[in-house]
Amino acid sequence: MNRRLLFLLPLATLALMAGFFAWSLLAGRDPASIGSVLVGRPAPRLDVKALRDGEPPLTDALLKTGKPTIVNFFASWCTPCLAEHPLFTRLATRDGAVIIGVAWKNKPAEANAWLKRLGDPYKFAGADLEGRTGLDWGLSGVPETYLVDGQGIVRRHFRGPITERDVNETILPFLKGAK
Amino acid sequence: MLEFLLALLTTATVGALLVPLLRTTARRTERLDSALAIYRDQLAEIERTRADGTVSEAEAAAARLEVERRILNAANATKTAAPHDSSTLHRFLPPALALLIPLLALGIYLNVGRPGLPAAPFASRPAGEHPNPNEPITAERMLAEARARLAENPNDPEALAELGEALVLEADGTVTPDAVAALTRALAQRPDNPRAAYYLGLHEAQSGDSKAAVARWQALEAASPPDAPWLSMLRAEIARVARAAGMPVPPSATPSAPTGMPTPSRDQVEAMQSLDPAQRQEAIRGMVDGLDKRLKENPGDRAGWLRLANARRVLGENDKAADAYAKADALGTLDTRTLTDWAEAHVRQLKPGETPSPAAVTVLERLEKAEPRNALALFYLGAAAFAAGDKPGALRRWNTLLALLPADAPIRGLLEERIKAAEGK
Repeated sequence: MNRRLLFLLPLATLALMAGFFAWSLLAGRDPASIGSVLVGRPAPRLDVKALRDGEPPLTDALLKTGKPTIVNFFASWCTPCLAEHPLFTRLATRDGAVIIGVAWKNKPAEANAWLKRLGDPYKFAGADLEGRTGLDWGLSGVPETYLVDGQGIVRRHFRGPITERDVNETILPFLKGAK
Repeated sequence: MLEFLLALLTTATVGALLVPLLRTTARRTERLDSALAIYRDQLAEIERTRADGTVSEAEAAAARLEVERRILNAANATKTAAPHDSSTLHRFLPPALALLIPLLALGIYLNVGRPGLPAAPFASRPAGEHPNPNEPITAERMLAEARARLAENPNDPEALAELGEALVLEADGTVTPDAVAALTRALAQRPDNPRAAYYLGLHEAQSGDSKAAVARWQALEAASPPDAPWLSMLRAEIARVARAAGMPVPPSATPSAPTGMPTPSRDQVEAMQSLDPAQRQEAIRGMVDGLDKRLKENPGDRAGWLRLANARRVLGENDKAADAYAKADALGTLDTRTLTDWAEAHVRQLKPGETPSPAAVTVLERLEKAEPRNALALFYLGAAAFAAGDKPGALRRWNTLLALLPADAPIRGLLEERIKAAEGK
């Protein structure tokens, strides 16, 4: 009797797994999204050397100016960064956004050459050569973008390049609404 | 913590391997001892039975001898096996390996894997060669060219557009602020410059204004000649940007062949390949006739007439081809290349020795005017002049043609004969 119950074990395991997969598929969960624990919390420590020569290092104070800030991690070796770059240029020039750019695991000379070629939309630019600040910020790669309000609270975390839709539907309303 | 556990695991494994390895030699002597003990017992047994009298003296001596022989054998077996099994290499290699491999792993780990080692990011490594040395060169060459032209004429719109395009290429397809500046200047002088309009639209699409981009590109599409080479790319871009921005895709941007040569679908092409040559020819003729019919309903389509003329000419229907060329020509003067095709369609209808028709002569004369050294025009206009009694005109053309022909041209003999005939009379 007991032994026969034992034969049911694989079947029960299969049913359990099938149930989990069905739930995963039907619950509308996006398995590609790893979410972000930062949203709604104070931004992690910002402490990086300046990317451009002769500028002071970037500190937390930049995130608590009372004005909303966009923090963008990028690298010259990253192709999606190239695709989203004109959107940041537009946000800086046309919409007057304050954008902090952090070159992540990127040789400063290369990041600067990249910015020189494409135009530099960053009011403050930092160099996170070792990726330590990226670690603090929960970065999974580049590009990633954070919307930080005037009190230094992270309001939105984009993993991957921002798009025209993100600009129109999220970023522009955020810049207008956040204090 | 994990490192500690791994070290513990390795030590346990090495221990489990080493203990039996070191024991083998000991066990071998043990085996000999136990064998000897048995033989000793057997000898004692023989001695006892002999004393009892159950076994005769002679039998006991034979049994003892047998046991002694076995003892010698056993001792020999241990001795002969020992040098083979426990040669120094075999004795020491397994335990040495069991110890060396974990030690080597530990050494490598301490050298390159230990936490707290300084990072070795790309930046501090020596820069390698460029992975793709060809690509920057083309953009650089374009840049140099455009800048050289701008040095001569700083406001040349074509050079400004080229500079913008080169900057875009250099930035891997991103329209940079510098490129936008150059393209805007180009467009200010030549509002119809397609290159400047295209890249400014691309800039709008990239900087989050897809609506403006699509509007600009649709204006460019409308202003482009129907056979402009960039049209298909432009339509694909309009569709791509509109789709990415969630806008309705304009109907013109969906690829289709509104007029002109019917574009066969995949199925049609496959169906055609399964036909035999005669049937295939028939099917192609059917498609061309379909185009002809559509053009009769819509006779203002010049590009359509040109395609039809070309198709007819290729099919060998030279009279119909000539008619189609005439229709296209009426809608807009043909260029020299097409004029040549038209003239060819005319003269191919001629039988050998026949003089060209007046319609053919008109086309040939236009061709001769556009291209005075055109062999086709020279030969047939010479023939027409000869037939009309204009011998000097015929001789002039044929002599010019003779001078142009290569020495081994097959038509030389015929031409020389004709010239002789024109001169002789």
